[in-house]
Amino acid sequence: MAGLELLSDEGYRVDGRRAGELRKVRARMGVFAKADGSAYIEQGNTKALAVVYGPHEMRGSRSKALHDRALVNCQYSMATFSTGERKRRPHGDRKSSELTLHLKQTFEAAILTQLYPRSQIDIYVQILQADGGNYCACVNAATLATIDAGIPMRDYVCASSAGFIEDTPLADLNYVEEAAGGPQVALALLPKSDQIALLEMNSRLHEDHLEQVIEAASKACKDVYAVLDQVVRDHVHEVTTLLGE
Amino acid sequence: MAAGFKTVEPLEYYRRFLKENCRPDGRELGEFRTTTVNIGSITTADGSALVKLGNTTVICGIKAEFAQPPAESTNKGYIVPNVDLPPLCSSRFRPGPPGEEAQAASQFIADVIENSEIIMKEDLCIAHGKLAWVLYCDFICLDYDGNILDACTFALLAALKNVQLPKVTINEETGLAEVDLKQTNPLNIRKHPVATSFAVFDDTILIVDPTAEEEDLATGTVTIVMDEEGRLCSVHKPGGSGLTAAKLQDCITRAITRHKEVKKLIDKVIKSIKIK
Repeated sequence: MAGLELLSDEGYRVDGRRAGELRKVRARMGVFAKADGSAYIEQGNTKALAVVYGPHEMRGSRSKALHDRALVNCQYSMATFSTGERKRRPHGDRKSSELTLHLKQTFEAAILTQLYPRSQIDIYVQILQADGGNYCACVNAATLATIDAGIPMRDYVCASSAGFIEDTPLADLNYVEEAAGGPQVALALLPKSDQIALLEMNSRLHEDHLEQVIEAASKACKDVYAVLDQVVRDHVHEVTTLLGE
Repeated sequence: MAAGFKTVEPLEYYRRFLKENCRPDGRELGEFRTTTVNIGSITTADGSALVKLGNTTVICGIKAEFAQPPAESTNKGYIVPNVDLPPLCSSRFRPGPPGEEAQAASQFIADVIENSEIIMKEDLCIAHGKLAWVLYCDFICLDYDGNILDACTFALLAALKNVQLPKVTINEETGLAEVDLKQTNPLNIRKHPVATSFAVFDDTILIVDPTAEEEDLATGTVTIVMDEEGRLCSVHKPGGSGLTAAKLQDCITRAITRHKEVKKLIDKVIKSIKIK
C-alpha cells in the first residue's frame, strides 16, 4: 500500500520523532489582563488558548445553580483559520459540542467544586492552530489557566493521545497520524494519584493491545505533567520576584 | 482609599485625572498605548497577524478559497471580513450568536475595505466569469480592553501584507483550475488605511485610544481612518455628544501622525520577515 509511512523501519515517525516521544511543549501562564486566569500552550504546531473566569455569581438562569457545588461551564471553539480547510462553524457543530461536554466532565472531576456552592466557573478554550491532539492541548491549557486563576484542584489534569501502528504504541499523535485512521486513544490523567479523568478510544483495537496503548498514553501524560509543573513553578517564581517577596 | 473612590464615583475619579491633563494609566490625552504586531504565526492560515494595543489583543487569520465571481461584476473577487468577540475576551460577552458590537465592528471593517480600496477586487479575479479568489478575513478578539476598531484595522493591514496566494492557471482542455503551491505571490496592497479612535468626555475633552473603562465612561466616540496620501477613508461617529468642526480637525491631525507611526511599525515588521 503506497503512501505515507507512519513508522519507518528505523523507528522514526513522519516528523522525525520516536514512538514514545512527545512534541515540543511550550506554555505560558497569565497572558491576558482581563481574565481571572489564562494560559497559552503550543504542542508542536497545535496552538491552544484557555481563559478562566470565576468563581463568580451565576449568569443567566439562577435556577441552574447547584446548591452544594459550583457549576463548571466550558466552551470549546476552533478559529476558522485553524485548520487546512476553512472551518465554517467555529462552535456549535457536533464535534465541538462533544468536546465541550468532555472538557466540562473532565474539569468537574478535578476542580474542588464543593468549595463554591451556587457559583459558576467559566472555562473558555480557543484553538488557534490545529495539528492533532486538539482535545489534549485544550485540557493542558485549561489546567494551567485554572491554576493561574487560583481555583483549587485535586491535581493537575494532563492529557495526551496515543495510537497503535505496526504493533507499536505511538504517543502524542499529530494531524497526519490521526487522519490515517488507525486506533486512537485520548487520555486525561490526574498524574499523582494515577486516576483517569477521561478515556476515549476510536476505531478498532484488539483487547490484547489496549493495556500497552493506555500505558503509552499514561507515560506521555506524566511527561506533560513534568513540563506543566515546571511552567507553573517558573511563573510563580517570576511573579513573586516582581512583587518583591 | 483611591480604589474605594473609584468604585463609588468612577466619573469623578476620572475627572480628577483629566483636570491634570493625564489619565489613570499615566498616559497623556493624545498618547497611544504600546503597539506590538506579530506576523505569520498561524501556518494553517494563508496570512495572519496578531496585534496588541496595550492589553487589547486581536488576531486576524486570512483564508483564501475559490468561488465564482458575482453575476453583476464578473471580474471581481470577494473579501469577507468577520469580527468575533467571544466570551473569552471579556466577561461582558455571553456565549451565543454574535452580539451587536461584533456585528457593528464587522460592518465597519467591511466599509474600510470598500472605501479605502486597500485591495482592488479586480486583482482577485482569476478567470472572468468563472473563477475568483475569496479572502475570508476572520478577526478574533482575545483580550478586550477598548479600541477594538483600531486593533482590527491594523491586524487586517498586517495580515493582508502577509498573505501569499499560489499561482492558478486554467487548463485549456479540461477547463479546471490548476494550483501551483510552489509559486506564491503576495497581494497587491494599494493603500494602507490606519484607524485612530477617540473618546469624548463631558462633551468637550477628547482622548485618544480609550481603554474599556474609558469607553464605558465616555459620552461619545469617533473613529477616523486615513491612508498614506492624507485622504480620509472613513469617519465613524456613532451618535454621542456633538463635536465642533475645529475639534474634528484636531482629530484628523492626530490621525495623520498616528498613520506615520503605524506605517513605520508595519514596514519594520515586514522587513524583518523578508530578511529571514
